[in-house]
Amino acid sequence: MTKFTEHLWRDLAEEHGSALALADRPEPGRARRQRPRILAGSTLALAGGGAAAALILTATASTPAFAVTRNGDGSVLVTINQTQALPQANAKLTQMGIDEQVTIDMAAGAAAVSGPVTCTPAPGVSGPSVKVLVGTNGTQVITSGNTGAGTWHLASCHLTGEGGSGNTGNTGAG
Amino acid sequence: MYLRNVDVLMGYFARRCRDPQAVADLTSETFVRAMDGFARFDPRRGSDRAWVFGIAAHVFARHCQQSAGDRDAVTRLGGHRALDQDEIEELAERIDAEREGAALMQRYARLPPVERAAIELVDLEGLTPKEAALALGVSGVAFRKRLSRARSRLRKEHHSND
Repeated sequence: MTKFTEHLWRDLAEEHGSALALADRPEPGRARRQRPRILAGSTLALAGGGAAAALILTATASTPAFAVTRNGDGSVLVTINQTQALPQANAKLTQMGIDEQVTIDMAAGAAAVSGPVTCTPAPGVSGPSVKVLVGTNGTQVITSGNTGAGTWHLASCHLTGEGGSGNTGNTGAG
Repeated sequence: MYLRNVDVLMGYFARRCRDPQAVADLTSETFVRAMDGFARFDPRRGSDRAWVFGIAAHVFARHCQQSAGDRDAVTRLGGHRALDQDEIEELAERIDAEREGAALMQRYARLPPVERAAIELVDLEGLTPKEAALALGVSGVAFRKRLSRARSRLRKEHHSND
Protein backbone atom coordinates (compact mmCIF):
# COMPACT_ATOMS: atom_id res chain seq x y z
CA MET A 1 0.00 0.00 0.00
CA THR A 2 1.08 3.56 -0.51
CA LYS A 3 1.41 5.93 2.41
CA PHE A 4 -1.92 7.54 1.54
CA THR A 5 -3.81 4.25 1.33
CA GLU A 6 -2.24 3.06 4.59
CA HIS A 7 -3.25 6.26 6.37
CA LEU A 8 -6.73 6.14 4.89
CA TRP A 9 -7.21 2.55 6.02
CA ARG A 10 -5.98 3.39 9.53
CA ASP A 11 -8.42 6.31 9.77
CA LEU A 12 -11.31 4.28 8.40
CA ALA A 13 -10.69 1.43 10.83
CA GLU A 14 -10.40 3.77 13.81
CA GLU A 15 -13.30 6.07 13.04
CA HIS A 16 -15.73 3.90 11.11
CA GLY A 17 -14.79 0.31 11.96
CA SER A 18 -17.70 -0.03 14.34
CA ALA A 19 -20.09 0.44 11.42
CA LEU A 20 -18.63 -2.71 9.94
CA ALA A 21 -18.59 -4.63 13.18
CA LEU A 22 -22.32 -4.05 13.61
CA ALA A 23 -23.22 -3.88 9.97
CA ASP A 24 -26.37 -5.99 9.79
CA ARG A 25 -29.16 -3.63 10.76
CA PRO A 26 -32.58 -5.06 11.53
CA GLU A 27 -35.48 -4.23 9.28
CA PRO A 28 -38.19 -2.02 10.80
CA GLY A 29 -40.32 -4.00 13.20
CA ARG A 30 -37.76 -6.68 13.77
CA ALA A 31 -35.87 -7.15 16.97
CA ARG A 32 -32.42 -5.64 16.88
CA ARG A 33 -29.74 -8.19 16.44
CA GLN A 34 -26.23 -6.99 15.96
CA ARG A 35 -24.09 -9.00 13.70
CA PRO A 36 -20.67 -8.41 12.22
CA ARG A 37 -20.52 -9.17 8.55
CA ILE A 38 -17.21 -10.25 7.17
CA LEU A 39 -16.86 -9.64 3.48
CA ALA A 40 -15.04 -11.92 1.15
CA GLY A 41 -11.71 -10.27 0.57
CA SER A 42 -12.11 -8.15 3.65
CA THR A 43 -8.95 -6.62 5.02
CA LEU A 44 -10.32 -5.65 8.37
CA ALA A 45 -7.40 -6.95 10.36
CA LEU A 46 -4.73 -5.19 8.36
CA ALA A 47 -4.79 -2.14 10.55
CA GLY A 48 -3.70 -4.30 13.43
CA GLY A 49 -5.43 -2.22 16.05
CA GLY A 50 -8.59 -0.42 17.12
CA ALA A 51 -11.89 -1.69 15.86
CA ALA A 52 -10.30 -3.82 13.20
CA ALA A 53 -8.65 -6.10 15.72
CA ALA A 54 -12.00 -6.81 17.30
CA LEU A 55 -13.12 -8.96 14.44
CA ILE A 56 -10.22 -11.35 14.75
CA LEU A 57 -11.53 -14.60 16.10
CA THR A 58 -9.53 -16.81 18.38
CA ALA A 59 -6.40 -18.42 17.11
CA THR A 60 -3.29 -19.65 18.75
CA ALA A 61 0.17 -19.88 17.31
CA SER A 62 -0.37 -23.59 16.74
CA THR A 63 -3.73 -23.15 15.01
CA PRO A 64 -3.68 -22.45 11.29
CA ALA A 65 -5.64 -19.31 10.36
CA PHE A 66 -7.63 -21.28 7.80
CA ALA A 67 -7.80 -24.58 5.99
CA VAL A 68 -9.48 -25.60 2.76
CA THR A 69 -10.07 -29.28 2.12
CA ARG A 70 -11.87 -31.10 -0.64
CA ASN A 71 -13.91 -34.08 0.41
CA GLY A 72 -14.24 -37.35 -1.44
CA ASP A 73 -17.69 -36.37 -2.75
CA GLY A 74 -16.29 -33.19 -4.35
CA SER A 75 -17.63 -30.83 -1.70
CA VAL A 76 -15.29 -28.36 -0.02
CA LEU A 77 -14.82 -27.53 3.65
CA VAL A 78 -13.41 -24.12 4.58
CA THR A 79 -12.27 -23.89 8.20
CA ILE A 80 -11.59 -20.40 9.51
CA ASN A 81 -9.91 -19.69 12.80
CA GLN A 82 -9.16 -16.05 12.07
CA THR A 83 -11.70 -14.08 10.11
CA GLN A 84 -9.03 -11.96 8.49
CA ALA A 85 -7.82 -15.13 6.81
CA LEU A 86 -11.00 -15.31 4.74
CA PRO A 87 -9.35 -13.59 1.73
CA GLN A 88 -6.57 -16.19 1.89
CA ALA A 89 -9.14 -18.96 2.07
CA ASN A 90 -10.86 -17.48 -0.97
CA ALA A 91 -7.51 -17.28 -2.76
CA LYS A 92 -7.00 -20.95 -1.95
CA LEU A 93 -10.38 -21.76 -3.48
CA THR A 94 -9.28 -19.98 -6.66
CA GLN A 95 -6.03 -21.97 -6.64
CA MET A 96 -8.08 -25.12 -6.42
CA GLY A 97 -9.97 -24.11 -9.55
CA ILE A 98 -13.09 -22.97 -7.75
CA ASP A 99 -14.21 -19.58 -9.05
CA GLU A 100 -16.74 -18.87 -6.32
CA GLN A 101 -15.91 -16.71 -3.31
CA VAL A 102 -17.19 -17.14 0.24
CA THR A 103 -18.85 -14.43 2.32
CA ILE A 104 -19.85 -15.10 5.92
CA ASP A 105 -22.29 -13.51 8.37
CA MET A 106 -21.73 -13.76 12.12
CA ALA A 107 -24.61 -13.54 14.60
CA ALA A 108 -24.75 -13.09 18.36
CA GLY A 109 -24.90 -16.11 20.63
CA ALA A 110 -23.66 -19.62 20.50
CA ALA A 111 -24.40 -21.84 17.52
CA ALA A 112 -27.61 -23.79 17.97
CA VAL A 113 -26.11 -26.61 16.01
CA SER A 114 -22.38 -27.09 16.12
CA GLY A 115 -20.46 -27.86 13.00
CA PRO A 116 -20.04 -26.39 9.54
CA VAL A 117 -22.65 -24.27 7.71
CA THR A 118 -23.46 -24.93 4.06
CA CYS A 119 -23.04 -21.85 1.88
CA THR A 120 -25.97 -20.61 -0.19
CA PRO A 121 -24.93 -20.05 -3.80
CA ALA A 122 -25.93 -16.77 -5.46
CA PRO A 123 -28.25 -17.10 -8.46
CA GLY A 124 -26.37 -18.47 -11.42
CA VAL A 125 -23.50 -19.76 -9.33
CA SER A 126 -22.71 -23.39 -9.93
CA GLY A 127 -19.88 -25.36 -8.48
CA PRO A 128 -19.12 -27.73 -5.68
CA SER A 129 -20.99 -27.50 -2.40
CA VAL A 130 -18.98 -25.40 0.07
CA LYS A 131 -19.30 -25.55 3.84
CA VAL A 132 -17.67 -23.19 6.31
CA LEU A 133 -16.67 -24.03 9.86
CA VAL A 134 -15.67 -21.18 12.16
CA GLY A 135 -13.36 -22.37 14.91
CA THR A 136 -13.80 -25.89 16.12
CA ASN A 137 -17.57 -26.00 16.51
CA GLY A 138 -19.04 -22.90 14.88
CA THR A 139 -19.02 -20.71 18.01
CA GLN A 140 -16.42 -18.06 18.78
CA VAL A 141 -15.88 -15.68 21.67
CA ILE A 142 -14.55 -12.15 21.19
CA THR A 143 -12.99 -10.99 24.42
CA SER A 144 -14.12 -7.88 26.27
CA GLY A 145 -12.45 -4.65 25.36
CA ASN A 146 -12.89 -5.31 21.66
CA THR A 147 -15.73 -4.06 19.50
CA GLY A 148 -18.33 -6.78 19.21
CA ALA A 149 -17.17 -8.50 22.40
CA GLY A 150 -19.28 -11.53 23.19
CA THR A 151 -20.20 -14.89 21.83
CA TRP A 152 -20.81 -15.23 18.10
CA HIS A 153 -21.62 -17.97 15.71
CA LEU A 154 -21.56 -18.40 11.98
CA ALA A 155 -25.13 -17.59 10.98
CA SER A 156 -24.86 -18.02 7.25
CA CYS A 157 -22.46 -18.06 4.39
CA HIS A 158 -22.87 -17.28 0.75
CA LEU A 159 -21.12 -18.21 -2.44
CA THR A 160 -20.78 -15.48 -5.03
CA GLY A 161 -19.28 -15.60 -8.50
CA GLU A 162 -16.01 -13.77 -9.03
CA GLY A 163 -17.78 -11.10 -11.09
CA GLY A 164 -20.93 -10.91 -8.97
CA SER A 165 -24.38 -12.09 -9.86
CA GLY A 166 -25.22 -8.96 -11.80
CA ASN A 167 -28.60 -8.13 -10.26
CA THR A 168 -29.32 -4.57 -9.44
CA GLY A 169 -30.06 -3.33 -5.97
CA ASN A 170 -26.80 -2.48 -4.25
CA THR A 171 -26.44 1.02 -5.59
CA GLY A 172 -27.27 4.21 -3.83
CA ALA A 173 -25.55 3.61 -0.55
CA GLY A 174 -24.12 7.10 -0.73
CA MET B 1 -12.71 -5.11 -0.04
CA TYR B 2 -10.64 -2.03 0.72
CA LEU B 3 -7.44 -3.40 -0.79
CA ARG B 4 -9.19 -4.73 -3.84
CA ASN B 5 -10.82 -1.43 -4.66
CA VAL B 6 -8.77 1.46 -3.31
CA ASP B 7 -6.32 1.59 -6.18
CA VAL B 8 -8.89 1.54 -8.96
CA LEU B 9 -10.98 4.13 -7.13
CA MET B 10 -7.98 6.43 -6.84
CA GLY B 11 -7.46 6.02 -10.58
CA TYR B 12 -11.14 6.79 -11.20
CA PHE B 13 -10.84 10.08 -9.34
CA ALA B 14 -7.32 10.84 -10.60
CA ARG B 15 -8.66 10.92 -14.15
CA ARG B 16 -11.23 13.49 -13.10
CA CYS B 17 -9.30 15.80 -10.80
CA ARG B 18 -5.87 17.38 -11.08
CA ASP B 19 -5.72 18.26 -7.41
CA PRO B 20 -4.19 15.56 -5.14
CA GLN B 21 -6.24 16.76 -2.18
CA ALA B 22 -9.47 16.39 -4.17
CA VAL B 23 -8.50 12.85 -5.21
CA ALA B 24 -7.77 12.02 -1.58
CA ASP B 25 -11.02 13.54 -0.31
CA LEU B 26 -13.18 11.82 -2.90
CA THR B 27 -11.52 8.46 -2.30
CA SER B 28 -11.91 8.89 1.46
CA GLU B 29 -15.54 9.97 1.21
CA THR B 30 -16.38 6.98 -0.97
CA PHE B 31 -14.95 4.54 1.58
CA VAL B 32 -16.51 6.36 4.52
CA ARG B 33 -19.91 6.04 2.84
CA ALA B 34 -19.20 2.42 1.93
CA MET B 35 -18.32 1.55 5.52
CA ASP B 36 -21.22 3.44 7.04
CA GLY B 37 -23.63 1.93 4.51
CA PHE B 38 -22.14 -1.54 4.63
CA ALA B 39 -25.36 -3.04 6.02
CA ARG B 40 -27.00 -2.28 2.67
CA PHE B 41 -24.44 -4.26 0.72
CA ASP B 42 -25.68 -7.69 -0.22
CA PRO B 43 -22.98 -9.81 -1.87
CA ARG B 44 -25.64 -12.05 -3.34
CA ARG B 45 -26.69 -9.15 -5.56
CA GLY B 46 -23.32 -8.32 -6.98
CA SER B 47 -19.66 -7.70 -6.35
CA ASP B 48 -18.25 -5.20 -3.90
CA ARG B 49 -16.46 -3.42 -6.77
CA ALA B 50 -19.74 -2.68 -8.50
CA TRP B 51 -21.15 -1.47 -5.21
CA VAL B 52 -18.28 0.91 -4.39
CA PHE B 53 -18.25 2.28 -7.93
CA GLY B 54 -21.94 3.04 -7.55
CA ILE B 55 -21.07 5.04 -4.44
CA ALA B 56 -18.10 6.70 -6.15
CA ALA B 57 -20.33 7.87 -8.99
CA HIS B 58 -22.70 9.49 -6.47
CA VAL B 59 -19.82 11.07 -4.59
CA PHE B 60 -18.31 12.54 -7.74
CA ALA B 61 -21.66 13.79 -9.03
CA ARG B 62 -22.23 15.59 -5.73
CA HIS B 63 -18.69 16.95 -5.85
CA CYS B 64 -19.41 18.49 -9.26
CA GLN B 65 -22.72 19.98 -8.16
CA GLN B 66 -21.47 21.59 -4.98
CA SER B 67 -20.07 25.03 -4.57
CA ALA B 68 -16.60 25.26 -3.08
CA GLY B 69 -18.03 26.21 0.31
CA ASP B 70 -20.44 23.28 0.39
CA ARG B 71 -17.64 21.01 -0.71
CA ASP B 72 -15.48 22.07 2.21
CA ALA B 73 -18.28 21.19 4.63
CA VAL B 74 -18.87 17.82 3.03
CA THR B 75 -15.22 16.85 2.97
CA ARG B 76 -14.93 17.67 6.64
CA LEU B 77 -17.83 15.33 7.35
CA GLY B 78 -16.54 12.71 4.95
CA GLY B 79 -13.19 12.18 6.61
CA HIS B 80 -11.15 14.98 5.10
CA ARG B 81 -7.57 14.97 6.26
CA ALA B 82 -4.83 17.31 5.17
CA LEU B 83 -2.19 15.35 3.28
CA ASP B 84 1.46 15.40 4.14
CA GLN B 85 4.06 16.14 1.47
CA ASP B 86 4.80 12.48 0.71
CA GLU B 87 1.14 11.73 0.14
CA ILE B 88 0.71 14.78 -2.09
CA GLU B 89 3.65 13.61 -4.19
CA GLU B 90 2.27 10.05 -4.37
CA LEU B 91 -1.11 11.29 -5.51
CA ALA B 92 0.40 13.78 -7.95
CA GLU B 93 2.35 10.90 -9.49
CA ARG B 94 -0.85 8.91 -9.71
CA ILE B 95 -2.64 11.77 -11.42
CA ASP B 96 0.27 12.02 -13.82
CA ALA B 97 0.13 8.28 -14.49
CA GLU B 98 -3.54 8.61 -15.39
CA ARG B 99 -2.84 11.21 -18.11
CA GLU B 100 -3.57 8.77 -20.92
CA GLY B 101 -6.80 7.73 -19.28
CA ALA B 102 -7.71 11.36 -18.75
CA ALA B 103 -7.00 12.08 -22.42
CA LEU B 104 -9.21 9.17 -23.37
CA MET B 105 -11.90 10.63 -21.15
CA GLN B 106 -11.62 13.85 -23.15
CA ARG B 107 -12.27 11.84 -26.28
CA TYR B 108 -15.22 10.18 -24.61
CA ALA B 109 -16.52 13.60 -23.61
CA ARG B 110 -18.25 13.83 -26.98
CA LEU B 111 -20.37 10.80 -26.15
CA PRO B 112 -23.71 11.20 -24.40
CA PRO B 113 -23.17 10.91 -20.61
CA VAL B 114 -24.86 7.53 -20.27
CA GLU B 115 -22.74 6.01 -23.01
CA ARG B 116 -19.58 7.62 -21.65
CA ALA B 117 -20.23 6.10 -18.24
CA ALA B 118 -20.79 2.68 -19.78
CA ILE B 119 -17.62 2.58 -21.83
CA GLU B 120 -15.52 4.13 -19.08
CA LEU B 121 -16.47 1.60 -16.43
CA VAL B 122 -15.76 -1.36 -18.69
CA ASP B 123 -12.82 -0.17 -20.81
CA LEU B 124 -11.01 2.04 -18.31
CA GLU B 125 -11.99 0.68 -14.92
CA GLY B 126 -12.03 -2.96 -15.96
CA LEU B 127 -15.44 -3.77 -14.53
CA THR B 128 -17.37 -6.58 -16.14
CA PRO B 129 -20.54 -5.49 -17.94
CA LYS B 130 -22.55 -7.04 -15.09
CA GLU B 131 -20.64 -5.07 -12.48
CA ALA B 132 -20.90 -1.86 -14.47
CA ALA B 133 -24.66 -2.34 -14.90
CA LEU B 134 -24.96 -2.75 -11.16
CA ALA B 135 -22.80 0.32 -10.47
CA LEU B 136 -25.01 2.41 -12.74
CA GLY B 137 -28.23 0.91 -11.41
CA VAL B 138 -29.50 -0.31 -14.78
CA SER B 139 -30.40 -3.72 -16.10
CA GLY B 140 -27.80 -5.83 -17.86
CA VAL B 141 -29.69 -5.59 -21.15
CA ALA B 142 -29.94 -1.79 -21.00
CA PHE B 143 -26.28 -1.55 -20.13
CA ARG B 144 -25.16 -3.72 -23.02
CA LYS B 145 -27.17 -1.52 -25.41
CA ARG B 146 -25.44 1.57 -24.05
CA LEU B 147 -22.04 -0.04 -24.33
CA SER B 148 -22.69 -1.24 -27.85
CA ARG B 149 -23.90 2.20 -28.96
CA ALA B 150 -20.88 3.89 -27.37
CA ARG B 151 -18.40 1.58 -29.07
CA SER B 152 -20.18 1.94 -32.37
CA ARG B 153 -20.10 5.72 -32.07
CA LEU B 154 -16.39 5.73 -31.24
CA ARG B 155 -15.62 3.41 -34.18
CA LYS B 156 -17.50 5.69 -36.57
CA GLU B 157 -15.70 8.69 -35.20
CA HIS B 158 -12.35 6.93 -35.59
CA HIS B 159 -13.09 6.02 -39.22
CA SER B 160 -14.27 9.50 -40.07
CA ASN B 161 -11.04 10.92 -38.60
CA ASP B 162 -9.04 8.57 -40.86
